[in-house]
Amino acid sequence: MTARSTRHATASLSPLSVTADARGFWRDFWARLAANRLALLSGILLISLIAVAIFGPLVYGQSATDISSDYALNTFPSALHVLGTDSDGRDTLARLMGGLRVSLLVAVFVEVINIGLGATLGLIAGYFGGALDFIISRLADMLFAFPGLLLAILVSAVFGRAAEDQFGGIGRLLLVTGALSLVSWPLMARYVRGQTLALRERDFVLAARSLGAGSGRILISHILPSLAGLIVVSSTLDVANVVINEAVLSLLGLGIQPPDPSLGIMITQATPFLQTNWTQVFFPSLTLTGIVLSVSFLGDGLRDALDPQSLR
Amino acid sequence: MLRFLARRLIGLLFVLFSITFITFIIGHLAPGDPIRVLLGNRQDDALYNRLRHLYGLDLPWTQQYVSYIDNLLHGNLGYSFRYQGRAVADIMASGVPISFGLGLAALLVSVLIGIPVGIMAALRQNSILDWGVMGVMLALYSIPSFVLIPIAWAVNDFSHNHGGPSLPVAGWGTPRHWILPVLILAAASIGYIARLTRFSMLEVLRQDYIRVAFSKGLRARGVYLGHAFRNALLPLLTVIGPSVAFLVTGAFVVENLFAVPGIGYLAVQAIGQRDYPVVQGTTVILAVAVVAMNFLTDIAYTVADPRVRLDAHNE
Repeated sequence: MTARSTRHATASLSPLSVTADARGFWRDFWARLAANRLALLSGILLISLIAVAIFGPLVYGQSATDISSDYALNTFPSALHVLGTDSDGRDTLARLMGGLRVSLLVAVFVEVINIGLGATLGLIAGYFGGALDFIISRLADMLFAFPGLLLAILVSAVFGRAAEDQFGGIGRLLLVTGALSLVSWPLMARYVRGQTLALRERDFVLAARSLGAGSGRILISHILPSLAGLIVVSSTLDVANVVINEAVLSLLGLGIQPPDPSLGIMITQATPFLQTNWTQVFFPSLTLTGIVLSVSFLGDGLRDALDPQSLR
Repeated sequence: MLRFLARRLIGLLFVLFSITFITFIIGHLAPGDPIRVLLGNRQDDALYNRLRHLYGLDLPWTQQYVSYIDNLLHGNLGYSFRYQGRAVADIMASGVPISFGLGLAALLVSVLIGIPVGIMAALRQNSILDWGVMGVMLALYSIPSFVLIPIAWAVNDFSHNHGGPSLPVAGWGTPRHWILPVLILAAASIGYIARLTRFSMLEVLRQDYIRVAFSKGLRARGVYLGHAFRNALLPLLTVIGPSVAFLVTGAFVVENLFAVPGIGYLAVQAIGQRDYPVVQGTTVILAVAVVAMNFLTDIAYTVADPRVRLDAHNE
């Protein structure tokens, strides 16, 4: 972990070498990432899934929530319904793209909060120490006390109906995002805090301070760049958890509400009809597994590319 | 040792405080007035005020928290919104033994399968067996339970349709009902424990004392079981904590999809009926169970490994 920062650390010593070394570093980074076929493939798959989520519903004419006009229930793929229909007669491809939108939207929102809140608080706690550190660390510890998804389940159960009454479907989406962020940010804060504690004592920070740099400048232009790798990698890897957790909350009836599509709801809705039509379980499961695996491989690839020394 | 225990105990109290405090605050902020719900059709201001006083809801929230803790210590988890005056503990009583039985069975299964599989893979490192088995373990670890369940059902159906044995996929009662839920619940931990055992075993096999044992002429079996395994087992004690956390989230999914009437199932039923106190009670029970489990493994670890010094825990 500490090794990751070495490169930036030496680079920050003199202003001249910063630009030279920084460009070299990113060129190295791309070369290493491109050499990792699995990570590259995962990245491409992920980008295509994002593109499908954004543009798919605009291109594909079928509704994700309305029963199709031909009343086809639980059918196999056909010319009219590319991936078949679910047990309520709704077009599966349309629902799949809608569910993909939900999964990816929640993941993006959660990671924005995760970085904005978790990384920032971790940085502040690690750099300033003292009472600030104590308060932030204990707050994170308090949230850590709940195992797994338990806190997210509680929060979305208690406030779910009220959020929906106030803001409709978007309210649920926001609540799920908030509940999952509550579970995610303490880990990010802990990682960043630990790394900041180590960086704070380094010579390049002392050098910056003796040249008259203030805390804000040291944090943003000297410590943060060394943390970028850690933050990018851990938030990428966290996306896999968020996508699965959103599906879990939704299938427990706590997240996205029917008739709106979510991958978790689609899988559980089709499971009882497995014997007559396996395709309706297969497509959402494949999509979900595809997101989770590609995010994991991409995260691992990014870690190796950002920190060659971590290769075993 | 005593100072270490004291420090652990303070940590434990802090965690218990966090769980109860956050759960209380969330319940306190919950929308809807529980007394209005309790009154149902007989809305009467005098009665409302009397009940509000009776339940202590007119006190400041700090005092309410104290009485909440007092109630918890006496086994009182609060009262249901849905069933007038019925205690939450009463509603959940039937589910607790089922969930804990399911969880313990899954933990046992994951240790009993995960550790031997991990050792086997380590002893045949980089063989086809190693790669194949570790691939399966990675899949078990990373495929979510709600995707594994339809796969298990499909296999079960296939076996049934071709005259093979099959298992019940819903309900509770006979020992046969346990098999599928326990296996699905254990799947992620099996994968996790197997991969960690392999890693830990390989680490130990690289040590000098293993080479010494071999060069003394001990038989491979003796070296693996007597020298390597015992030391590889130690770090595994620490994974029990994370495994139990897996089981908690898993229990919600597995109990609901298999219609097993444990507390995860009851909680989701309660969510549908907006019966928040039941969800609150479930959260407290599960979180405290996990905390107790972590505390015990922590103590077991320090007892088993004398190298873990008191200050090593000081983060």
